[in-house]
Amino acid sequence: MKNILELAYLVPLFPLIGFLINGLGRKSLSKSMIGIIGSGAILASFVVSLLIFFQVKGGNTDTLNYFSFIRAGAVNIPFAFQIDQLSSIFLLIITGVGFLIHVYSTSYMHEEKTEHFGRYFAYLNLFVFSMLLLVMGANYVIMFIGWEGVGLCSYLLIGFWFKNPEYNKAANKAFIMNRIGDLAFLIAIFWIIGKVGSVGYSEVIAAATEGSKFTTTDITGITILLFIGATGKSAQIPLYTWLPDAMAGPTPVSALIHAATMVTAGIYMIARSNVLYSMSPLTLNIITYVGLATALLAATIALKQNDIKKVLAYSTVSQLGYMFLALGTGAYVAAVFHVMTHAFFKALLFLGSGSVIHAMGGEQDIRKMGGLNKYMKVTHITFLLGCLAIAGIPLFSGFFSKDEILASAFGKSPVIYAVGLFTALLTAFYMFRLYATTFRGSFRGTHEQEHHLHESPSAITIPLVVLAVLSVIGGFIGIPEFMMHGGHKLAEFLQPIVAPSAKLLPVHEVSHSTEWILTGVSSALIIGVVFFAWNKFSRKPDTGEATGFGKVLANKWYVDELYEKAIVNPLAKLGGFFNNIFEKLVVDGLVNGVGRLVSYSSRQLRLLQSGQVGSYVLLMVLSILLVFVIQFFLRK
Amino acid sequence: MNALIISAILGVIMMFSGILLKQKSGVRGIAIGGLVLVLLSNVLEMNGTHFFNVNLHGMMEFDHFSLLFVSVIIGAMLFYFILSARDMEKVGGYYAEYFALLFFILCGIVLVTSFKSLLILFLGIEIISIPLYILTGSDKRNLKSNEASLKYLLTGSFSTGLMLMGIALIYGATGTFDVAKMKLGLSEQPELLAIAGMLLLLFSMSFKVSAAPFHFWTPDVYDGAPTVFTAFMATIVKAAVFIGFIRLFGDTFGGMAPKWQFWVAVLAAATLFIGNITAVFQQSVKRMLAYSSIAQAGFMLLALFAMNQDAREGILLYSVAYSLATIGIFAVLGRMNDYTFEGFNGLARRQPLVAAVLTICLLSLAGIPLTAGFLAKFYMLKAAMAAGTQFWLVIFAVLMAAVSVYYYFRVIQAMYFKEGEANVTVSAGFKTALVVLAALIIVLGVAPELILYWLYF
Amino acid sequence: MNITQILFWLLSVTALFGAMMVVTSRNPVYSVLWLILTFFSISGHYILLNAQFLAIVNIIVYAGAIMVLFLFVIMLMNLNKNAEPTRGRWIKFAGAISGGCLLLVLVAALRSTEVSSKSVQVGVGEIGLIKNLGRELFTNYVVPFEISSILFLSAMIGAVVIGKKD
Repeated sequence: MKNILELAYLVPLFPLIGFLINGLGRKSLSKSMIGIIGSGAILASFVVSLLIFFQVKGGNTDTLNYFSFIRAGAVNIPFAFQIDQLSSIFLLIITGVGFLIHVYSTSYMHEEKTEHFGRYFAYLNLFVFSMLLLVMGANYVIMFIGWEGVGLCSYLLIGFWFKNPEYNKAANKAFIMNRIGDLAFLIAIFWIIGKVGSVGYSEVIAAATEGSKFTTTDITGITILLFIGATGKSAQIPLYTWLPDAMAGPTPVSALIHAATMVTAGIYMIARSNVLYSMSPLTLNIITYVGLATALLAATIALKQNDIKKVLAYSTVSQLGYMFLALGTGAYVAAVFHVMTHAFFKALLFLGSGSVIHAMGGEQDIRKMGGLNKYMKVTHITFLLGCLAIAGIPLFSGFFSKDEILASAFGKSPVIYAVGLFTALLTAFYMFRLYATTFRGSFRGTHEQEHHLHESPSAITIPLVVLAVLSVIGGFIGIPEFMMHGGHKLAEFLQPIVAPSAKLLPVHEVSHSTEWILTGVSSALIIGVVFFAWNKFSRKPDTGEATGFGKVLANKWYVDELYEKAIVNPLAKLGGFFNNIFEKLVVDGLVNGVGRLVSYSSRQLRLLQSGQVGSYVLLMVLSILLVFVIQFFLRK
Repeated sequence: MNALIISAILGVIMMFSGILLKQKSGVRGIAIGGLVLVLLSNVLEMNGTHFFNVNLHGMMEFDHFSLLFVSVIIGAMLFYFILSARDMEKVGGYYAEYFALLFFILCGIVLVTSFKSLLILFLGIEIISIPLYILTGSDKRNLKSNEASLKYLLTGSFSTGLMLMGIALIYGATGTFDVAKMKLGLSEQPELLAIAGMLLLLFSMSFKVSAAPFHFWTPDVYDGAPTVFTAFMATIVKAAVFIGFIRLFGDTFGGMAPKWQFWVAVLAAATLFIGNITAVFQQSVKRMLAYSSIAQAGFMLLALFAMNQDAREGILLYSVAYSLATIGIFAVLGRMNDYTFEGFNGLARRQPLVAAVLTICLLSLAGIPLTAGFLAKFYMLKAAMAAGTQFWLVIFAVLMAAVSVYYYFRVIQAMYFKEGEANVTVSAGFKTALVVLAALIIVLGVAPELILYWLYF
Repeated sequence: MNITQILFWLLSVTALFGAMMVVTSRNPVYSVLWLILTFFSISGHYILLNAQFLAIVNIIVYAGAIMVLFLFVIMLMNLNKNAEPTRGRWIKFAGAISGGCLLLVLVAALRSTEVSSKSVQVGVGEIGLIKNLGRELFTNYVVPFEISSILFLSAMIGAVVIGKKD
């Protein structure tokens, strides 16, 4: 049989074709046609990804060169895909979860006009295409292209309902914050080119391990820049505030882009460059603390949010922080594991919240919900399973991945472990506050809404069920070593990716008995918190206005306000300075010039001569003077 | 040589066509047909067919690079003619004469790209400039146009003065106009006269490509000139003068690179800064594009700074990417009623195709991947990186490119995300040309080799 | 100091003084007259360089034709009064000072340049004679000579486009 890996180009090709058809035919195609094309394209990609996955599992990896993308001087950047263990896992997550969300969207977006419906699916397919490019590329430039592409699609989809100016603002905020990260990424790429003369992963890793081309400073600099890039895309401190605002987009978009896939691009990038990171302990420390701080901060904010999607958004930020914590402690496998389980349960939770919002007629405030378990059976149960998974109740998927991260954190320092565990408890608390307030107790909305409540159609519930199953059992591919020998299939699978860095970085071994104790303690505490929150909020929902410290949390620690005061305002002032002083004084806006021209039209000619042109020439002469003085008298 | 002589003759033919032909479409047909002829003759010359055998006395050299570049420029001009030639009718009553002037400018472009003697460079620059002064003021009843023309003439004369003085000093130092015989920079300590002359030429060329701090004329002139001619000035002329700039400093002053490289870096940084920061605060798209053209010039200066093989490839790609995208935007802008950002509100709703093409052009200018603009910027940065001396410049350029995204996206945002009444009337032919243009931008963004291949052919 | 040198300095001072007065005169008619003086002294330089043809052409074309045209324009437009608008005082000062500084810097920088070997050959060169000039122009420099016709042609068209009534 022909090598399946040769077919890898099909994986991104299908979504691209879907994008083209839906984009061009959005006016002529019917809604069902658009839905079939959009979802079908992703399904096709998923099937190919599966075939590829089994090939890779059989130990068959490859780098496929298609054509020379950029060739100049000594640098040759091919357009190439790298199919290996890491990328094949991400392919499955992206196309698998992506397909479910596409199916979900056919029902969720059904009330849009056909034209907008087509536009939505075109964007969504384009997003999947870019995301696939990002993970399949065999060098940093292809990754960057995908990186920019997903940013663009995210921007377009957040602003999908562009009639609302608030949404527009959110889209802009996301775009600008991402650009800051992208900038650092780009500089890192140029740094790598300058040192290695190539941007292929294998070449860079070879250069790093061989050691002559990079100094320690280079590696630290490059890894920090790449990490800054990751903080933008994966919403870490200080660039995280765009993600909660990004919830302005349609809910399936939040599920796909802002929970399951795009935001994990930063984790993918660091896992991809794990050898470089393992060579720079300083960067790893920075990542650990940034991740930990983000996880904690976002978890505290989530405690007091009342918008169902905002809670989930902050929870996503917090979980992403968890993944960075894993990366920082050198547990790359645990990070990828958590990416995967998180993709399942967070997509599930978002889709579930979408189902709720749908049923509530657009209402997102959990204070006006309650008792929904009676009306929406499937949504209720799947949502509950999702909550159990994210909280880390034993044997649910989140339990395994989170436990692995905590064990690795304990290996680094017990303090980090303690903070991490505290964050996990907060997670359990706010998730069950959300669950209990929404689904338990009695309904608090208007009479009309109550009348309207209904279970969603099957195009919505089937993806929920599939994701719920995955959220429950997804963890069993990574059973920790201390529970079952050889149980961690994922670690085995990813072994070739992390092997080079394992040599560089001493792994903190924790004895099996300690691990049992840690797991036991954390599980017991989490279960306790879950019961506490469930009871507390089922009986007396948290509906009042927050006061005291709660108010600080409800206002997200005033970070947005801080940014507004510390960064946006000074920038605006600087802008004003340039606009007023510079523009008025030096260029003296044409508006004035013309205004005067009209009023003194009889003498226009000479006014011109005496006006701006004189100052233009004067400034040119002054610059020439400056250059001459420096050249002839100072630069000897 | 083919292109030079044929376009000069075409200029004369255009002059008479205005008298002989009553139909404007006839004039336009001759112009477009003539331009195709020039393009063919130039391509033939690349393959070794010379129509004219002139003893040039070593004053010009039509090497592969210059011929390729002239072909690219003529190609861009063809796009410009097809997209915008109709808009020239609105400017004034001298339709045929405008074409004649454009053909003469093309002669100047050929001279500037292939000079081997400073005399020819000077002639070329002047043949480009004088018709531009006239075209800027061609909308005679518009005060803004008059003002712009006069400003351009006055400041332009100043830069001509600088250039002459520079050439005179170089002549004083070397005793020749001939680039091949100058042998500058061979001695350890170059003569002061030559340095002073070189700096003066640097200033005057910076003026022509609107590099800061010699850019002051640009916003006023670009804003005041009729939009069709602004498009021509900002794209084709600018790219051509850049090639002349690179030839001058690469060939003539190549030996004394340490003396000017630093200044080019400073000019590039200043240009990037002023162009990008000021563009952010513009309310008019036309004026924003003027500043954007300054900002893009800053990027092109990186090629001059690096002056290696990457840079030569890069500048070729950059001029194509920049010219195509800007021609496309101006072609649409010329048909809008309102040049402010608000004037674009809701364009995507009424003209989805035009808006999509505009978006591609803007993305290319902003340097978003998979467009020609990204690769062009990439080449520039890579070249500057390879030059190795001023790493800060690369970082600064990347930063400024990020700023530029803001103002380009404002237009996209207005078109797609805002409600408004913007509309343009476009013919099917115009749409086809726009689509071809957008396709070219994308194709070059994926496979730049298509153009660069010819560089080594 | 022989007679040629004395003449050289005299002509240079006259040319520079004339040029200064062109710029500073308030009345445009005076400016034009000063300009004519400048052209005459430059023609004097040409003669010193043994370029009689250039000297004559300079006077005929510039001092004769073009300046007369200027005078006509000024008189027809009735600009001969002190009609100069009041330009900002500071810009005048700034212009004068920065221009002066530029001159100083250039002179100071280039003062030490060794130019004696290539300095002007006063009274001995033959290149400016009409015969040699013609030969150079139509052999070695024929290409730029012909090309400048394009420049003039475009200037002519420009004059029509700008000057003719719509």
